[in-house]
Amino acid sequence: MLLALAALLMAMHVYAPAFLSYRNLINVLVQSSTLGILALGMTVVLITGGIDLSMPANMALSAIIGGMFIQNGGDPAVGCVIMLASATAVGALNGFAIGYLGMIPFVVTLATMSVASGVAAWLSEGLSISKFPESFFDVLLARIGGVPISVLVTILLTIAGTWLLARSIFGRHLYAAGLSPRAARVARVPVQKVTSSAYVFAGAASGIAAILLTARLGAASANMGTDGVVLDIISACVVGGVSIYGGFGRLYNAALGAVIITVISNALNLLGASYFLGLVIKGLVIITFIFLDARGKNK
Amino acid sequence: MMAAPGLVLSNISKRFAGVSALKGVELTAAPGEAMALLGANGAGKSTLMNILGGVIQRDEGVALLDGHPLDLASPRAARAQGIAFVHQELTMLPTLTVAENIMIDHLPTVGGLIDFKALKRRTQDLLTRLGCRFDADTRVGDLGPGDQQMIEVARALSRESRVVIFDEPTSSLTEPEKQRLFGVIQGLKSEGVIVIYITHFLDEVFATCDRVTVMRDGMLVSTGPVSAHTVASLAHEMLGEGSLAGDIPTAVPPADEVILSVAKLTRARVLSDVSFEVRSGEIVGLWGLLGSGRTELLRALVGLDPIDSGSIRLKSSGHLVTVTPSQLSRSTAFVTEDRRGEGIFPGQSVEQNLSLPTLRQLLNRFGLVDRSRERSLADDLIGRLGIKTSGRGQDIATLSGGNQQKIVFGRWLGSQPTVFLLDEPTRGLDVGAKTEILRLAVEIANGGGGVLLVASEPEELMRVCHRYLLMDRGRIVGELGRGATRDDLVARVSNRAVDEVLQ
Repeated sequence: MLLALAALLMAMHVYAPAFLSYRNLINVLVQSSTLGILALGMTVVLITGGIDLSMPANMALSAIIGGMFIQNGGDPAVGCVIMLASATAVGALNGFAIGYLGMIPFVVTLATMSVASGVAAWLSEGLSISKFPESFFDVLLARIGGVPISVLVTILLTIAGTWLLARSIFGRHLYAAGLSPRAARVARVPVQKVTSSAYVFAGAASGIAAILLTARLGAASANMGTDGVVLDIISACVVGGVSIYGGFGRLYNAALGAVIITVISNALNLLGASYFLGLVIKGLVIITFIFLDARGKNK
Repeated sequence: MMAAPGLVLSNISKRFAGVSALKGVELTAAPGEAMALLGANGAGKSTLMNILGGVIQRDEGVALLDGHPLDLASPRAARAQGIAFVHQELTMLPTLTVAENIMIDHLPTVGGLIDFKALKRRTQDLLTRLGCRFDADTRVGDLGPGDQQMIEVARALSRESRVVIFDEPTSSLTEPEKQRLFGVIQGLKSEGVIVIYITHFLDEVFATCDRVTVMRDGMLVSTGPVSAHTVASLAHEMLGEGSLAGDIPTAVPPADEVILSVAKLTRARVLSDVSFEVRSGEIVGLWGLLGSGRTELLRALVGLDPIDSGSIRLKSSGHLVTVTPSQLSRSTAFVTEDRRGEGIFPGQSVEQNLSLPTLRQLLNRFGLVDRSRERSLADDLIGRLGIKTSGRGQDIATLSGGNQQKIVFGRWLGSQPTVFLLDEPTRGLDVGAKTEILRLAVEIANGGGGVLLVASEPEELMRVCHRYLLMDRGRIVGELGRGATRDDLVARVSNRAVDEVLQ
């Protein structure tokens, strides 16, 4: 995958020299950070063999709730906690329905997506929530050693998450439950708890992404969570080799996948390709990787 | 060269990832002949038959039927040339009916739509021929593994066949079902069909086959008439020198101390008023037909299936304490009958498969799994159980069935459970691996644990059990002591079968 990324960067260097400028690279990394965090949450869910389509809508809704709080004079720090908490709560709702009630992930999260984006548009009356105090941006848009906070947060979460999935009991249970829920049950893995926790993590990831994206855009709006974002998250995961059949996938690969997807979008932009061509290309990338995943499974 | 009638496989070789699975194997069989194909796990018999069935492609060699080369590029191609394969692993579509499963690749049609009348009639004919008592319209998912196995047979017989391969067809069949299957094989032989019969049960070879071919390590060891063999000589050829099945040490008589006491366990339509006790050091055999409630009892005990009423008491620091099924499961090891579906985690390493239920004991002070302790646990169990693997990092899916089963069994040893529930733990294993698994059961009992063992083969139970609980329709209907003979056990089951026919 690193090879693919290197090849992509080389090609960009030749066709669009502006791409490899320091400014643009940092810009690409900042853009990938939101997507990367969403991809981390999605990966945890994909490992259970499920899917969470509600992540972008959940992100937008929590950004609006927290954003309205800050806009009305609330403490920005508390506003961030509200974003995280509200997104986690929606994740818990998904988790309960899927893990304990045995409902189908695709349908449940599709419905939650609809509810979340509906509430988001209703609360914000379709307008964007902005005019946040400077203190909100001072911290979240700061750079440490030239690297933006959002990038650092993503890198830290990726490393810690990868480590925890490999070494914690929860992580081991997650892979086991995704690989074979029946065998996991016999081996005393609390499959229901593990499965529902995965959606709670996805919810929390949506909340963190909401905080970072709101800071970067300077506003929260229902448009943050369009359908295109779901496509990007899933693309990042499958490009990162996360199996949609469950049981396999590494968080750091999903984060790298997010960088690749962002580079592709950015590159198409610089090359002057239309947004719609971008959608076509991303769709084809997903199909290609799912084809490879299916082939790997049949071996 | 004259075209010989029958099947000729010549110089068949196959390598998997650089490892030879078959080395120039020769096999011939004449029309109307039943050929037994024997070998320990990993001897290459399944690989050879999968090549003949078009499931995998050979690297080298020739395959002829009546002198004509066979096209074995796919299972479909093999099927079209009259090669039928009765798989050991069930390949059913559980949401479809029996009839649809049997006729799935050649559904009768009228005007482009399925002709359900013809479908049902033809299926019912087949089922009658096989002596099956379920209906063609039954949903396959509602049937037990024994019935599903018979459907697998019916599917192979539903089209004209020249060669029928049976891969361990009896591993989930009861005695009467087995007898019916043997009758079917006789019928096939008289029609001039070539039968290739893979089994681990040596007595079946003498009951059904004319010739026997033994394989070992991907090579042919011998081939000849069955009459030239005894069970002992076949076992000897299968296992080779120095690795004879070996004896199981006798389990020492159990202590008087009761460690598990179950009273009036009931689950609607499945279990009624099941009461029994297991003592420390005791191996109790649960004996009954498929569907008698033996598997259901084990699953209910550890909470995998719900119970309606009843109580379970478990010895805990000197006293029998009432526990819930989920509490019992914490001090219980459970090996299910379905190794693939409920045992192994394919794609994960031997090490991860071994450590899963005992991770809590391997945590370091940060609450994370201590890798070095995990490794030593794995190495320890690999050595103690004699698991044949290239290392703890090997993918469990690439191990033989016997070694997979040792892992599914051995993963519990780290948590030192007091009760072991073993449901058909030796299913589909070769003679040597069976012995090793049973030996483990005896070791556990001698260490003071209590074992509940389910097996379909009376010989297996008789090798290790202290006593037998007889199950029928969800009840315990009797008990036999250590001295019970095979005939005593079989009689209980066959009387039951006779009762059922009379009803």
